[in-house]
Amino acid sequence: MTTPTRAGRRWRATAAALVAAGVAFAGLGPGTSSASSHREAPLVAADPAVDNTDLYAFVSPERAGYVTFIANWQPFSEPDGGPNFYPFATDAVYTINVDNDGDAKADAVFRWTFQNIDRRGGDTFLYANGPVTSLDDENLLFRQTYTLESSFHGEPFKTRVTGAPVAPSRVGKATMPDYGKLRAEADKRLPGGWNVYAGQADDPFFLDLRVFDLLYGGDLSGVGRDTLAGYNVNSIALQVPFSDVALKGDAKRNPVIGIWSTTERAKTRVTGQVGPVTGEKVQVSRLGNPLVNEVVVPASLKDAFNSISPDKDAGIPAVVARVTDPELPKLIESVYKVPAPAAPRNDLVEIFLTGITTKAGGPIKADLNSQLDNADVVAANFRPAEMLRLNLGVPVAAQPNRLGVLAGDLQGFPNGRRLTDDVVDIAVQAVEGAAQTGKLVEALAAGDKVDANDNAFGGEFPYLALPNGVSVNSPVSKGGSAAGTSGGSPSATAAAAQPDTTPSAFESGTGMTAVAVSTSAIAAGLGTLLFVGWWRRRRGQPQP
Amino acid sequence: MRVRIVLGVVLAATLLLGLGAVLGRPTGGAPAAAPAERPQATNRLAALQERLRAVPGDWTAWAALGEAYLEQARISADPAYYPKAEGALRRSLEVRPDGNADALAGLGALANARHDFAGARTLAERALAVNAWSDTAYGVLADAETQLGHPEAATAAVQRMLDLRPGLASYTRGSYDLEQHGKRTEAVALMRLALSTATAPADVAFCHQHLGSLAWAAGDVATAARHVSLGLAADPGAVGLWQLKAKLDAAAGDLTLALSSLDKVVARTPTVDALLDRARLLQAAGEDPSSSFALARAAHALFTANGGTDDLGAASLALASGDAAGAARLALAEWDRRQFGEVADMVAWTLLAAGEPGAALPFARRANALGQVDATLAYHYGMVAHAAGLKDTALVQLRLALALNPTFSPTDAPIAVRTLAALES
Repeated sequence: MTTPTRAGRRWRATAAALVAAGVAFAGLGPGTSSASSHREAPLVAADPAVDNTDLYAFVSPERAGYVTFIANWQPFSEPDGGPNFYPFATDAVYTINVDNDGDAKADAVFRWTFQNIDRRGGDTFLYANGPVTSLDDENLLFRQTYTLESSFHGEPFKTRVTGAPVAPSRVGKATMPDYGKLRAEADKRLPGGWNVYAGQADDPFFLDLRVFDLLYGGDLSGVGRDTLAGYNVNSIALQVPFSDVALKGDAKRNPVIGIWSTTERAKTRVTGQVGPVTGEKVQVSRLGNPLVNEVVVPASLKDAFNSISPDKDAGIPAVVARVTDPELPKLIESVYKVPAPAAPRNDLVEIFLTGITTKAGGPIKADLNSQLDNADVVAANFRPAEMLRLNLGVPVAAQPNRLGVLAGDLQGFPNGRRLTDDVVDIAVQAVEGAAQTGKLVEALAAGDKVDANDNAFGGEFPYLALPNGVSVNSPVSKGGSAAGTSGGSPSATAAAAQPDTTPSAFESGTGMTAVAVSTSAIAAGLGTLLFVGWWRRRRGQPQP
Repeated sequence: MRVRIVLGVVLAATLLLGLGAVLGRPTGGAPAAAPAERPQATNRLAALQERLRAVPGDWTAWAALGEAYLEQARISADPAYYPKAEGALRRSLEVRPDGNADALAGLGALANARHDFAGARTLAERALAVNAWSDTAYGVLADAETQLGHPEAATAAVQRMLDLRPGLASYTRGSYDLEQHGKRTEAVALMRLALSTATAPADVAFCHQHLGSLAWAAGDVATAARHVSLGLAADPGAVGLWQLKAKLDAAAGDLTLALSSLDKVVARTPTVDALLDRARLLQAAGEDPSSSFALARAAHALFTANGGTDDLGAASLALASGDAAGAARLALAEWDRRQFGEVADMVAWTLLAAGEPGAALPFARRANALGQVDATLAYHYGMVAHAAGLKDTALVQLRLALALNPTFSPTDAPIAVRTLAALES
C-alpha cells in the first residue's frame, strides 16, 4: 500500500464530487460477474442419448443368409405420456463396426447421424398436439430423421439412405393410438437387401440389476425381478447379407465376424474453432460383449475402456490383467466362500478377447467364434480385442435356449447375442470359471432369477418389442404386472415361449457345419453344469 | 453403459422400496424439457440413500451420493449440503480406499465449492493418478486451476476434459475458458452446443443463463432477455436466471421489477452476491438496504461455518459497509492465495475505494490481461486508470464499457458517462 499519489488525490476529489451529486458510488462494491459465488458448472451430467447400453448380433432366424445387428442407447426411457421424449443426439455419431480379419480394426463401418425437424416454433414444449397416426402426421411437432452411411475396407463412406424417419418416442395411447403402424413405417428396406430401423423400442435386456450387489458385498437373496421391465430404449437395427460383412465376402470360408458399437462426438478445441461432426471424433461410449463394463472392467478403467478402440485393448495391460484376474470371483468368494478360480483366467481371455478357438493357445478345446478360425485370416495380424464375436455358419436353433452355448445351443451367447439370451446368468457362471473348473456355484445357480424379457420379441426384423406405453412408476403400473404387458405386444410373457432346458438340448449338440468341429467340450462340460443348476432351481423353487 | 448401473441400482432401490420417485428424469427431457419441478435432485438423493441402506458396501453409490449432495448445493446455493457431501465421499473412500477415483474427484469438487482451490487441485491430481481417463477429475482440475489464476493449466485441463468426454460438463467449462480469453463468439458457440446436449431442466437453465450473460456482457439486451425467458421456461426456479433478469429489468429502468426478480433469488438462495445486488438496487431505488446487508453478512457466516473460505465475499461486505481499507486487505489476502482475474478486479476496485489508485492500477491491468470482454471489468479499469492519471487508458476503457453495454449498471453506468464526459471536455 502506497502513499496516495497526486492522481489518487484527484480521484478522491472526483469521487467526493460524485457522492455529493447524490450518486451511490463504489460504496456498494463491485457489480462484477460473481464475486463471492464463483462459476460452478455441472460436473457429472447425465448423457443418456450417447450412452450405449447393449449390443446384439445374430443370424436372422427367418431370413437365411442375413445377419442382424441391434444396438441400444438411452436407458431407462420412461413412457410417461408427458412432455418428456427421448431423441437421438444430433451432435453425435452412432456406429456399428465389424472386424472380419481379426486385426481388431473395423472392416465394415455402419454410421448413423440424426437430424431434428422441430416444428414447435418456440412457443410450445409439446411433442405432439393431437393424435399421431403416421410418421409425417402434422400433429407430431418434433421428429427426427437419419442418414445411414457405410464404409468397407477403409474406403470413403457412402450414403445408403438419408432423411429416413425415426420412430418416435411413444408418449401415450391417446397421442399414438396405433404405435405398430408407426413402427412399420419406420422399418426401411434399402437396396442390397438391407433392412434398417431407428427408433424407440422396449428395452430387450432383461435382468435384475441387484445381481451386481455382489460387487459391493451384497448377496443374491433379493433378486428375481426384471428391473428394466417397462422401460424403453432408443434402438438402431440393421440387417445385411452375410456377404457384406464376411471376410472376402465369403461366409462359407470365413464365417466369423467381430462386432462392436460406438458413440462418438466431434472433437472440440478451446484453442480454436468448434468443429463440425465431419471432423475428428472422440469416442464416448463403446460396447461389444454384454456386462464387460460391470463384471470385467474395474471402475477405474471404465473411462479408459470406453474411450479406446478395440485394437488398443491388448496394449493396455491393465485391461488384459482384469480379464485374466477379474474381481467378481473374488467378491463371490468372500460372500459365498467359493474359491475363486486361479488366475490367469485364460478361459475368459477366450470368451472376451480372442473368441473361442484352439488356435490361440487357450484352454477351451473348441473352435467356435474366433476370426482365427476364418480360412483366409492371416494369423500374424490377429490382435486380441474385446468385441462380440459371431459365427455366421452356426445354423439357427429350432429351439433357442436362453443359456446359449453353455446349454449346448451354439447359436447363442457368447456366440453373438440373441435378444432372448440370458447373458447375466451365463456371464456369472463364466466368470466363476464354469469352463475351467467344472464346478457350479450353487448359490449362484439361479443367477438373477430373471430368465426372459417382459415383452415378447417379434418374429421378423427388427424383432424388438414395441415400446412400453405406460409409466413404470405410475400408480397404475405399480399395482401389478401392467408395466410388463402394456407395451402393446400381443402375446404374454416371453418366458412362455422359452423352452425348458432339457438334457437333449445340449447332449445332442447342434450340427456345426462350418468351422466349429469340436464343440462337445463346451456342450458337455458347461452344458451339464448349467443343467444341474437348472435342475436344482426347478426343485428348489416352484415356478410362478 | 457407465451411467446405466448407477441409475439402475438407484432405480432398483426406488422400485423396491416403493418410493415412486421419477429416477428416469436424468435420462429424459431433451431437447427442450417442459417446465419441470425440481424434485429430481432430491429424488436422486432419496433413492441413493435407500440404496445405501440396502447395500452399505456400495462405494460407488456413496460417491454418487456425495456428488448428488454437491449438485444440490450448487443448484440451491445452500452450503449446508457440504458437510453431508463430505460425509458420503469420505465413507466411499473408507469402504474402498484404493482405486476410488470417484470419491477423490468428488472431494475435489467439494474443495472447489468451498473455495479451497489448492486442495481441489491436489485431490484432482490424486484422482487422476488412479484414473487418468477421468473427465470428471479433469473438470475438477480445470475449475481449480482457473480459480487459482493459472490460465494455461486451466485451458490444458479443459482441453483434456473435452478430449476425453465431449458433453455438457466439458462444453460449459470450455465456453467459460473461451469467455475469459475474450473469445466471445467461440464461447457462445460452445455454450450453444452445451445447451443442445443438456437434458435436466437445471442444466438447460444453466446454459441459457450463461448465453444470456455473454449477451449481456456485450450489451445485447434482446438476446439476453430471450435466453432468460427460455431458461426460466425450462426451470422456473433457476436463481442465476432471475439474478440476470434483475439486471435486465434494472437496465430497462424498472427497479421495482428488478427488485421482485431479486427477491425470488434471495428467497431461494440467500447468497452474499445476490443480497448485495439487492442492497445495491434498494439503494438505487432510494430505499433502505440495511436488511439486505444484514442478510448478506449472515450468508457469509453460513458459508464459512460450513467449511468455506471466502475473503472475496468478505471484501464485498466490507466495501458495502464503508470499510474500504478493510475490504482491500481482505481482497489482497485472497490474492495471496490465488491470482485469478476476478480477484485482481476486486483488489483493484477496493484499493481504488481506499484511495490508492496507484496500487490499484497493476491489479486492474491484471484483471484484464486475458482479454475478457465485460463492461463492468472495463469500467473498473477505466475508473482506476482515471484516478491514477492515465487519461488515455481511462478514455479507452470507459468508452469500451459504454460501447459494450450502455446500461451495464443502474448506478455505475451514469458515473461512467459523466466521467467520460469530464475526460473528453
